[in-house]
Amino acid sequence: MYRHFFIASFILFMASGLVFWQQNRSPKPVGITPTITGQVEYCLTCHADLPEISQSHPVETFGCVLCHGGEPLALTADLAHSTLRGGANPSDLSVVEASCGGEMCHSGTPQVNRDHIQRVTTSLQATYAGAVAQVRYAFSAEPDLTARMGIYAIDGLAAFDPTAESSPALQAFGSNCLSCHLSAQPLEAEEYNRWSGCSACHSPAPREDGTLVHKLTTSMPYTQCNACHNRGNYSLSDMQFHPREDAPTDRLHDFYQPIAEFTRCEWTLDCEDCHTRQEAMGDGHIYSSKKDIQYVRCRTCHGTLDSLPLTYTITDENDLALRLDFLNPVVDLKLGDTILMTDKGEPLWNIRVIPGEEGTVPTYELFSKATGERFTFKPVMGSTCQQKPDQQEARYCHECHATQR
Amino acid sequence: MGLLVKGSLAGSALLGLGMLGRYISFQSEQSPPSQYDLGLATDYPVGSRTQNPQSQSIIIHVSQGYRAISLICPHLGCTVSVTNDGFACPCHGSRFLPDGSLRNGPASRPLTALRIEVNADGHLILYMN
Repeated sequence: MYRHFFIASFILFMASGLVFWQQNRSPKPVGITPTITGQVEYCLTCHADLPEISQSHPVETFGCVLCHGGEPLALTADLAHSTLRGGANPSDLSVVEASCGGEMCHSGTPQVNRDHIQRVTTSLQATYAGAVAQVRYAFSAEPDLTARMGIYAIDGLAAFDPTAESSPALQAFGSNCLSCHLSAQPLEAEEYNRWSGCSACHSPAPREDGTLVHKLTTSMPYTQCNACHNRGNYSLSDMQFHPREDAPTDRLHDFYQPIAEFTRCEWTLDCEDCHTRQEAMGDGHIYSSKKDIQYVRCRTCHGTLDSLPLTYTITDENDLALRLDFLNPVVDLKLGDTILMTDKGEPLWNIRVIPGEEGTVPTYELFSKATGERFTFKPVMGSTCQQKPDQQEARYCHECHATQR
Repeated sequence: MGLLVKGSLAGSALLGLGMLGRYISFQSEQSPPSQYDLGLATDYPVGSRTQNPQSQSIIIHVSQGYRAISLICPHLGCTVSVTNDGFACPCHGSRFLPDGSLRNGPASRPLTALRIEVNADGHLILYMN
């Protein structure tokens, strides 16, 4: 009898000790109460070593759960992560509205430049509508090149379903050629490594060792774009992706695959120094080809023999240019600065007329959005440039200004 | 044997009490106070602008009396910084004039004015709601 008592009490003692030991091993809860939500969350119990994701999203104000989802009061990883949105990436397009959306955040109105999600989800980079239209047209599945289908259905586009296609070529297209739209998981190799959704552009890719970088930025070097761009070519003849075969060792050769020669600014600057927000993220409309949305030309910055590039002087404290410079302060723009502007009125906020050098033929300064490096340049007007007024495509400028690879 | 049984039971009871005590003593997040005693009003001379980190506010003593302005940006709730010409939000760039009025967005409202009074003991009391 006593023996039974002893065994039972000893087991109880050991069990209690085990539980007590496990409880002591558990981390002490670290709670924060974000200003926006007013609800306590204990994510920092385990994730206190994470760096601030960006100056615009401080954890004291936003917390973690607002963007990532998850169980704010849980103290075990499995439970805390059980309701995460998008896994480690809440900006995946499948969950972006819940994570990044909201009238005050990134799905507000165009009037206050808050319609990011509406623009991105209808963009060519997300819908892939241009590629789908061109390939379906090439294989007689569509009467013209008008976009009718995208990777997902949105705004008049139907969802492209390769399994519903009768053409083997289109089925192969669906299997082999859809790895570079914003919803797609990238191909498995370091050079293609990127996130999906907003983070495809705005977050550094996971490192080689698999560790993740907790960062949102508008300062994006060309290498960010080259996770998808300049990686190779899709061939309609065998409906395969053919990776580039060169092994570049410098920026000139790495920037573009060896298909053409480019001017110095095209490989010295980064993509975002020229390509605007509308070009990259869309303007909210469905387009059938990137030629319809890409409109920046050499003359956008350099003008022509007869006209200087478009500019405007910042007079409004709420000017979009000031806001963009605030997010990535490479220029220190202020009221009274004269900056370049595109044909559609988008501010090229990182390019301004050098104060004091306005004159008849001003000098401009460009600040790299990725590095802050300063470049100066003169316009075409007043130079010995041989360009013709009706030959404003880049290929004409390349005839004289391309850098031999 | 009896001693071993008693010892095991006593040990288990102690461990259980320890865990119970830890559970009971857990301090959940406390609600922020609804008012702050900022000390003697005489510590805030006329013309002074004094930040109070606990309440995230700034106390301004003008000739007409005391004013308190919340340093929580009305845009999304970040804490604004005090600058040479007013206040600036480090999150999204909203700026405010020295009196808290809005200079530029994305905020659409001025900084919140808080109620502040001198009580019978001569202390400044700041009310947060």
